[in-house]
Amino acid sequence: MISQILGGVMLIYLLAAILFLMAELWSSARLKGAGRVTLWLGLGLHTGALLGRWWESYHLALGHTPAAAWSEKLQLIIIQVPLSNFYESLIFFAWCLPGLGLLAFRRHLQGYLGAVVALLASLLLAYASFGVDSTIKPLMPALKSNWLLIHVVTAFLGYAAFALACGTAILYLFQERRPRASLPPLPQLDSLIYRTTVLGFLLLTLGIATGAVWAETAWGRYWSWDPKETWSLITWFIYAALLHARLLKGWHGRRIAWLAVLGFMAVLFTYFGVSFLLSGLHSYLT
Amino acid sequence: MSATRIHSQPKSWLWGTLTSIRLTVFLLLILAAVAVIGTVVPQNQPQNHYVSRFGEVWGQLLWLGGFTQVYFSPWFLGPISLLAANILACVVHGLPQAINRAGQRLTVETALTLPERGQITWPAGVDPQPLIEATLSRELGHCRQETLPDQKVYLREKGRFRPVGPYLIHIALLMILAGGLIGKLWGVDGQLAIDQGEVAGAFQVGPRVEKPLNFQVRLDKFQVSYYEPGGSPKEFRSDLTFMQDGREVSRATCRVNEPVTFGGLTFYQSSYGSQATGPIRLKVQLGDLSESIEAPLRQPADLPGGRGKIIPMKVDGNFQGYGPAVLLAFSPGSGHPQVFWTLKDRPGLGQQPGPYRFTVESIPFGYYSVFQVKHDPGVAWVYAGFLLFLPGLYLAFFRPAERWALVLAKTSKGKWQGRLLGASPRNREEFAARQERLLMELKRGMPS
Repeated sequence: MISQILGGVMLIYLLAAILFLMAELWSSARLKGAGRVTLWLGLGLHTGALLGRWWESYHLALGHTPAAAWSEKLQLIIIQVPLSNFYESLIFFAWCLPGLGLLAFRRHLQGYLGAVVALLASLLLAYASFGVDSTIKPLMPALKSNWLLIHVVTAFLGYAAFALACGTAILYLFQERRPRASLPPLPQLDSLIYRTTVLGFLLLTLGIATGAVWAETAWGRYWSWDPKETWSLITWFIYAALLHARLLKGWHGRRIAWLAVLGFMAVLFTYFGVSFLLSGLHSYLT
Repeated sequence: MSATRIHSQPKSWLWGTLTSIRLTVFLLLILAAVAVIGTVVPQNQPQNHYVSRFGEVWGQLLWLGGFTQVYFSPWFLGPISLLAANILACVVHGLPQAINRAGQRLTVETALTLPERGQITWPAGVDPQPLIEATLSRELGHCRQETLPDQKVYLREKGRFRPVGPYLIHIALLMILAGGLIGKLWGVDGQLAIDQGEVAGAFQVGPRVEKPLNFQVRLDKFQVSYYEPGGSPKEFRSDLTFMQDGREVSRATCRVNEPVTFGGLTFYQSSYGSQATGPIRLKVQLGDLSESIEAPLRQPADLPGGRGKIIPMKVDGNFQGYGPAVLLAFSPGSGHPQVFWTLKDRPGLGQQPGPYRFTVESIPFGYYSVFQVKHDPGVAWVYAGFLLFLPGLYLAFFRPAERWALVLAKTSKGKWQGRLLGASPRNREEFAARQERLLMELKRGMPS
């Protein structure tokens, strides 16, 4: 049922992307409005599906671990947040893109920028629906922790912010080569890249720190040089370099845009590459 | 690092290099490269692993070059120490100045040097002060007022502490690195394996190196449970009793994510296993022949009928949630031995090679549980660093400095004239928007 809804959300995001593109090509305000409404609709349904899966996951766990007191129930709700395997992480990542995009870009989330975000979210959902096992499995002991929620949420919101920065950076590079009146002007794109990068950096830092605290309670080591940890640190270095280049050396525009793209490559490797190519503490993701 | 070099004061070359952002970027690149190597080359494996995986030459090079424990090799420790020195130098270089700047309130004298953003002259007889006060407090928040002999100045300043933000972040980083070093120097880290029912008075801190505990710990019971037979594990649970001079002091349950602390040491559930405590009794059937035999672990036992030998390889107290099981190796007279699990409580489950049919009569076994045991005085430093990071990031990125002044004076013709001054070097966009709104609001209600 929830998988079907998510399949529908995938199509709605795709429709939003098409509407944004058409609005851009025919410079139609009405289509633009339709695109926004469609994106909001998709996000609403997507949120519902996430909550539904959370509810379902909680009830399955209740079957394994009966909880009577409200504090036990609350504890179970927290640890049963649907963020415990690869499928659920993809669904949440796809949710973060339009969610964070509407928050960070506000009215700029339309046109090509809106189309890029909606299309990316749609692709992630398509991959999750067709390529990944979607069954809800009971939690393994290592994941039974209150830190799961905050660690995964901050990490993926960070990934999504970097995805937005990368999408904006790509538009910047196109806009610089062949300026189009329909795209936001360069300084505005530049400022959006910077803002989303700062947001992502804050969230990635929180994700790493909460992960370290969790690892300390689970294994007695806040840092184990697990490949995912190491790659998140490499990603952090790249964005730290970007921020220093911009704030201290006054880098702007094209060079920052390329760094944002490079940083997102590292994010993608941290997320997918490490899970598929290298084994480690995070390997339950696959 | 947000301190740029001051060229008017010639400093030594070393200091200049240490405080430069170039060194930072260079070190970050090296560290990233070394980290990439660390994720591609498996770490902490025995030497022959590398030779068989990367070939004779490369395997030896990786081993001898320290790349098999790269995070503890000079390749990593060198640049990270330099990075710490770099950050420390930048903090020492720029922090006093940043504190100094943050400590200076916006004064009238400074405010008057801010660039002018607009001028408004109200018609004669109109007192704009109520309008100004309402507008400024709505748009900028509470403003200070200074009255000079011939003019009145409204002052508003935001993000005065922003310059301190980057230094808080870098001090936080230093604290985290210091925490790592403190843990390495003064921390204790080891492993403790206890059999169920056993009492331990020491734990392993290295290969064949034991460290005594100043108390005793007993593993009363170990349990592993599964969500369902054949499913995934649900819980690993060790019930522990801590004792001082043979007297019970406290009891605790240790699970994954629920470590137990006693006597300054923390115990983390790390792994577990089960081992046979005596020979395994098997019922062996071949056609009509049926006989019980006793087979000690890892020793070949002859089978009735003489058509091969059986070796119990290992036991599992709860094999995938199906209960006790034994891994048997059946070795026929000729050919390869065949290995298979046989379950005590579910004799029907699992394939057996034949011609014999084996059922388990008893598996005498006991669990053991393995704990990570540690005391790390550096953790507090690391956590303090994490906490300090947050206000640092907030000040550095979310509190851009913004200064405003509105200078109100009477012209010679008795009209009130206001000059709006202000600057926000790092947040021009929002500043410009606010400036436009302010000027519009202040001109509102004026006959044009």
